[in-house]
Amino acid sequence: MSTKKKPITKIEQPKTQSRAAQLHYLAQLRGEVEEEKPKLNKKKFLIISLIVLLVLAAGLVFCNIQLNNIENINLNPADYIAEKGDKALESLNSTASLYMLGRVVVIAGMVIYGFFAFITLLQPKRRKPNRSFWGDLGIYTLLFIIAVMMAFPLVFNVAASLKPLDELFRFPPKVFPDHPTLDNFSDLIVTMGQSWVPFSRYLINTVFITLVGTLGHVIIASMAAFVLAKYDFPGGKTFFGVVVTALMFTGYVTGIPNYVIMSKMGIIDTYLAIILPAFAAPIGLFLMKQFMEGLPNALIEAAHLDGAGEMRIFWSIVMPNVKPAWLTIIIFSVQSLWNANGATVIYTESKKTLVYALQQIQAGGIARTGQAAAVAVVVMFVPISIFALSQSRILETMASSGLKD
Amino acid sequence: MQSLLSKYWGIKRESLRYNWDKARRMKVCYLFLLPYAVLFITFVILPIATSIYYSFTYYNILEAPRFIGFQNYINLILQDEVFLTAVKNTFVIAVITGPIGYILSFLFAWFINELPRWLRTIAVIVFYSPSIASGAFAVFLIIFRGDAYGFLNSLLLQFGLIDAPLLWLLDPRYILPVVIIVSLWMSMGSGFLSFVAGLQGVDRSMYEAGYVDGIRNRWQELYFITLPSMKPMLLFGAVMSITSAFNVSDVPRALAGYPSTDYAARTIVTHLFDYGFSRFEMGYASAIATVLFLIMILCNKVIQSALRKVGT
Repeated sequence: MSTKKKPITKIEQPKTQSRAAQLHYLAQLRGEVEEEKPKLNKKKFLIISLIVLLVLAAGLVFCNIQLNNIENINLNPADYIAEKGDKALESLNSTASLYMLGRVVVIAGMVIYGFFAFITLLQPKRRKPNRSFWGDLGIYTLLFIIAVMMAFPLVFNVAASLKPLDELFRFPPKVFPDHPTLDNFSDLIVTMGQSWVPFSRYLINTVFITLVGTLGHVIIASMAAFVLAKYDFPGGKTFFGVVVTALMFTGYVTGIPNYVIMSKMGIIDTYLAIILPAFAAPIGLFLMKQFMEGLPNALIEAAHLDGAGEMRIFWSIVMPNVKPAWLTIIIFSVQSLWNANGATVIYTESKKTLVYALQQIQAGGIARTGQAAAVAVVVMFVPISIFALSQSRILETMASSGLKD
Repeated sequence: MQSLLSKYWGIKRESLRYNWDKARRMKVCYLFLLPYAVLFITFVILPIATSIYYSFTYYNILEAPRFIGFQNYINLILQDEVFLTAVKNTFVIAVITGPIGYILSFLFAWFINELPRWLRTIAVIVFYSPSIASGAFAVFLIIFRGDAYGFLNSLLLQFGLIDAPLLWLLDPRYILPVVIIVSLWMSMGSGFLSFVAGLQGVDRSMYEAGYVDGIRNRWQELYFITLPSMKPMLLFGAVMSITSAFNVSDVPRALAGYPSTDYAARTIVTHLFDYGFSRFEMGYASAIATVLFLIMILCNKVIQSALRKVGT
């Protein structure tokens, strides 16, 4: 950080809090003053919230039952009039609007109370002093709305894959199916079973490509990253600079000359045409190198003094220490290989990938809407679940992903 | 002058010899680098180089490339109206999704940074999933379907905002906005992850110091403390978002069809695809690729130099 900073001291002292309050806060941070007990007892708060919400829900159910009764009576008012008279029906109908209002109030109450309870529970034990409550409220509301919007298409997709045919084409549409069924998935198996190449073959192709490609990529990229991160040799920095620039180029742009080169090498229409370029993906090398730079040099020097060769250091010292980075480049590699379509370099039907086969089903048009949704669920399931299981390790690696200049 | 020159060459030779000696001593490093370097050169560097070479030739795979100078570039700019549409579309998409996606991924990473751990995990998965679930954007075919059963159409019909279903994916007026929305949905990629991780790594004592020095609210804290210590991640995120913004091609091809109505969703990469893999005019397609390289490298340089000034 050689760049000069604007002096922060120019900013006025906060007016809202006295100097003493600030010092008290700092002392708390240092552990010199005993920490104040958190004002909020979370368990108690949670129980109270639950009771309040239950009471409100009971009110809602009550209103609904009453409204239903009134509706039933109104469907066939003759009996009721005969029993109690005209006046009673009128007053009954005026109470209906009261119940209606009650229902709206109860729902609004649930939403507002639930929201505030949620925000309160989110507060960290030790609030940062320069955070305003209304700021938190606004930010979390915004975050919640956006998160719902981001998740909606995926949820919609999963819901669509569970809908029977009549619910897929209904008007007005619903997000969630009334009668969830796994028909789309079993239809998918039937459709794939009728194809000339069995479904399992596509699956095996993709699994093979993903496994071999990822394994090779992790080993080859780690070897290169190791020397680039830990040794200063002529040409190393230049090479890394080129790799960083290559981060910007996706496969499409180099697709044409790549095809020509592969056909000269004679690997068109073999698995190698997908696997070999995957070995050389720049993002894996980049992340691995940035992460390895964090390893203490002393570790490697000590191993050198003990007489270990480079290969030994790499296998038994460096690699076990960068496990989080493995996971990260594994997820990036699996994600790209699992989704590899490969239609431009593989022509034999029995060598084609799962994603290619599934895309053919999706291309079947409106009649295959349900199956297409099922396909999307199958395809997205693998990368998302791998990410969800390994995300804490991945974030550890990404912390060193920065581009230093 | 003479002596200066010879002195220069002397130093140059000296440093060359020094480097050569060093290289010989560190042979093993090159052995480690070799497998990756060979593959990288074969599948990344060589294609870029040949692509630049082919861009000056007429090449259709069957015949040997024939050198035609700048003819491809001249045709590209002066005669190919579709290319200009593609450039315009790509820029519209890139200018909207690039910066907005970048800023949003930073803001969301920053917002979720103070959440409790379990909630942060869920939020990261929710925000990051769309970008790894590639292929899942096919669901937008249902949402934006042109008949009354399409989700958006039926919603709008139900509320009476429209009285006939709109052809979201076929009407040139709507295609580009739809593509932009879907690209934005997918834009929280590896840059977002890098931001989330980087924010966790900012030194806490800096915040305490800032608090004593009178940082009054979260926005000042963001500008004076958080952003400057995040610069490396910001640079990485910028590279990633430029890449994805300029290489939009799967989404328009899957949603709007290929080719799309009136070329309304034609981007540089789909144009390249058209000439490279449908018409097999490799020379011409290579010229398109070269133009795309240049644009991306230029953008990258501009943005990197702008980012260096943040918070200083």
